Amino acid sequence: MESAPSLPISISYVSGRYLLFSIDVVTYLRREHNICGVLIGTLPQIPQQNVFLGLPLELMPEEARLLVDKGVACIVDEVKAHDGMRSLLEEDRRAYLRDLETQGQLAARILADRKEQQRVQSLKEIDEKRAKGLAVKAAKAAQAAAEIQATETSRPTTEAEESASLFASVDEKTSASRTTGTTTPAPLAVMAVTPTTSYPPLPEPAAAEHRLARPDVPLSYPLFAHLHSLGYFLSPGLRFGCQYVAYPGDPLRFHSHFIAVSAEWDEDVDLMNIVNGGRLGTGVKKGFLLGGPQKRRDEVESEADRVGTVRTFSIEWAGM
Amino acid sequence: MADADEDAVRGTAVEATQIETDLSDETQDFRLLNHLNFLTDTSSSSLPRRGEKDFEPNPTLLQADVLSSSRQAMHNALAHPRLHNPKNQVIAIYAPDGPGTSASPPHASSQISLNSSPPSSTKEQNTVKPPGRGAMVSPDACVYVPNPKGQYFKSMGQADRKGVVWLLPEEALYLLERGSLNIRWPASITGGSTSSGPDEPGAQSSEDDDDLSIPMSLQAAYTCLIGRGGLTLERFAVFSSLKRIGYAIVRAPGWNDSRTADDSSDTHDSPNAYTQPLLRGAGLAGIFGRIFKWINDPRCTSSLAAGPVIGYGIHRSYADIYQKLALIPWYDPTLTPQRDPLDTTAPFRIIFHVYKPSTPIKKTALPTPDFRIAVINTREHDSIPTLDQLGALLESTPLDVPRGEKMERHLYMRLRHGYRNVIMVVVDQGVTSFLRVADAAFGKERIYEAANAPMGAKKGGNYRKKKR
Repeated sequence: MESAPSLPISISYVSGRYLLFSIDVVTYLRREHNICGVLIGTLPQIPQQNVFLGLPLELMPEEARLLVDKGVACIVDEVKAHDGMRSLLEEDRRAYLRDLETQGQLAARILADRKEQQRVQSLKEIDEKRAKGLAVKAAKAAQAAAEIQATETSRPTTEAEESASLFASVDEKTSASRTTGTTTPAPLAVMAVTPTTSYPPLPEPAAAEHRLARPDVPLSYPLFAHLHSLGYFLSPGLRFGCQYVAYPGDPLRFHSHFIAVSAEWDEDVDLMNIVNGGRLGTGVKKGFLLGGPQKRRDEVESEADRVGTVRTFSIEWAGM
Repeated sequence: MADADEDAVRGTAVEATQIETDLSDETQDFRLLNHLNFLTDTSSSSLPRRGEKDFEPNPTLLQADVLSSSRQAMHNALAHPRLHNPKNQVIAIYAPDGPGTSASPPHASSQISLNSSPPSSTKEQNTVKPPGRGAMVSPDACVYVPNPKGQYFKSMGQADRKGVVWLLPEEALYLLERGSLNIRWPASITGGSTSSGPDEPGAQSSEDDDDLSIPMSLQAAYTCLIGRGGLTLERFAVFSSLKRIGYAIVRAPGWNDSRTADDSSDTHDSPNAYTQPLLRGAGLAGIFGRIFKWINDPRCTSSLAAGPVIGYGIHRSYADIYQKLALIPWYDPTLTPQRDPLDTTAPFRIIFHVYKPSTPIKKTALPTPDFRIAVINTREHDSIPTLDQLGALLESTPLDVPRGEKMERHLYMRLRHGYRNVIMVVVDQGVTSFLRVADAAFGKERIYEAANAPMGAKKGGNYRKKKR
């Protein structure tokens, strides 16, 4: 897990959005570059819920731009890159299919092992239950002997007896199947695998002609880059009615501290928006953060020059 | 003093919000997933509770450990493979050209067109049925399932005449993503690589069946399917998030942005939805009419055309007086003409029809949808829709009058339900929010008449009777 993927990372550009498909890249960016993105895919292990989501990870254009500017990543036009499927070499294809088959075998073996483990576990539990049942039966029998007049107590005894015999028969059956299972191991069916990424079979660093220019970013990029450079983790702000939600550390472990909204330096800001933001922020126990670069886009050469001039203000409802 | 009060108030408020916190609104602690048994039991029904978060980072080892274990758990959860048991796997084939043209059915028939049916390819035709164009298949469909089995095709896919099920891109991608479908690259793309076209059938027949077809990766599926036939990532996010929790969801006629309504219908000439509360006639005729009405109408509360709204005279009932006082025109949604769903502008138009899990679905004859959905991307539209856009969107939905016993009794439920409604889904870089927009008809709720209803009987009704 601690291994770093080879740089630069390719960010997939699909239909105007920036996506990541490699789990190693996702964890690496989170760990080393404070970039979280938003998981948008279905988790195959628990597909019927919306609380935990899986790959792919969607990056904001700001995040993609920041990584490209840092030299950590490049943007790859996946549609063009996947045209490479047409020119796959025969031997590469075979090697890839063999590789998938090995993966499938491995998965099948792991699954079979786990099933076996579970069976052993449940057998053990049954054994324990049976032992307990016998103990209860003994106790009940003793009790029944002591209070022979009370007819109610005798009934559970018979029940316990029945269940004990039931368990015994189950146990016999399963132990029989257990022995047969170990003596003749059934040939494992190879699981088919749907791989997560297309690299392989496509060659790893994507060809230079598939690379795209730096992503276009909204006017709020300087604020994003500024907060990010201070160590904040930023995520899209829709949940809190702002542009970015700023977390002091990894959102896995920390609550966010600020709801951030960007404005240009000379832009008129409606006082009502400040009041709204302040109330909203206080309501969810966060600070309302208003910030922006002091230079306009046409005053500087690149967006990076604006980042250094960002000033931020936090607004809190004083409640006087 | 004031502070203490406020703190107390805030304290309870905070507790309340914590209870109501929607789990999906927070970044999840994936450590919780470790308790679920991944590879064996896929139907784990209950989700674990959220763990505690810290206020801010500190340099303690404890915090670092907890964080790294959280990340490790997340890594493990996300690294879970998509496996298909050979016994029940469903194989589909990607058809980049869709079901439309005769050249498209990729596997077998393309070989026929290239090579005039050698005996080897006829054998293959038996294993993989060449899909033909069916009457029901949408031209946007681009993945076909030769042997459809399993529960998923009850609400998804369209079968052509030969029993091959065609999937729309979002359906195929959703199924692949949840690990229920194994999509293969077609031979037309990956097949003839080293050899040229005509040699392809020979190369294929030397291998067993479909051994040489490459499974499509998740990445490849996103690449090939998103952006096809109007499927944006936002639309897919909405589709899959509803699918995941059991709704059936189908494309609405408004899916295609460029489709517009025919201008032949003259819906705009229909009566105005804004009611005229008083018929103030113009000129002499109007006055005479009014007087005539006054003579005839015993309930009139003696108002004149130019005079006070409520004049002198004998007033017989409160209801009539209130009716006279209703001067401000109000919007009556029941009078608005039904607008063609295509007569709206994207993105404020209905692109999905959604059915509750309990609604029985027949793919061939879809019932009226339970919900209608419009999808909006915040990065492209960052302001609230204008009244025009919203009005057009609502008018394109059918009238859904608040009915039922509960609605009859509760005024606020009626107002909340509205007369037309639509679900707007706002997607901000992968974060989706569902908003229900309904047009409430306040003008239709006559509070003065409801005074005698069971709800207000104790206060209004009795008191008034005594006064009389």
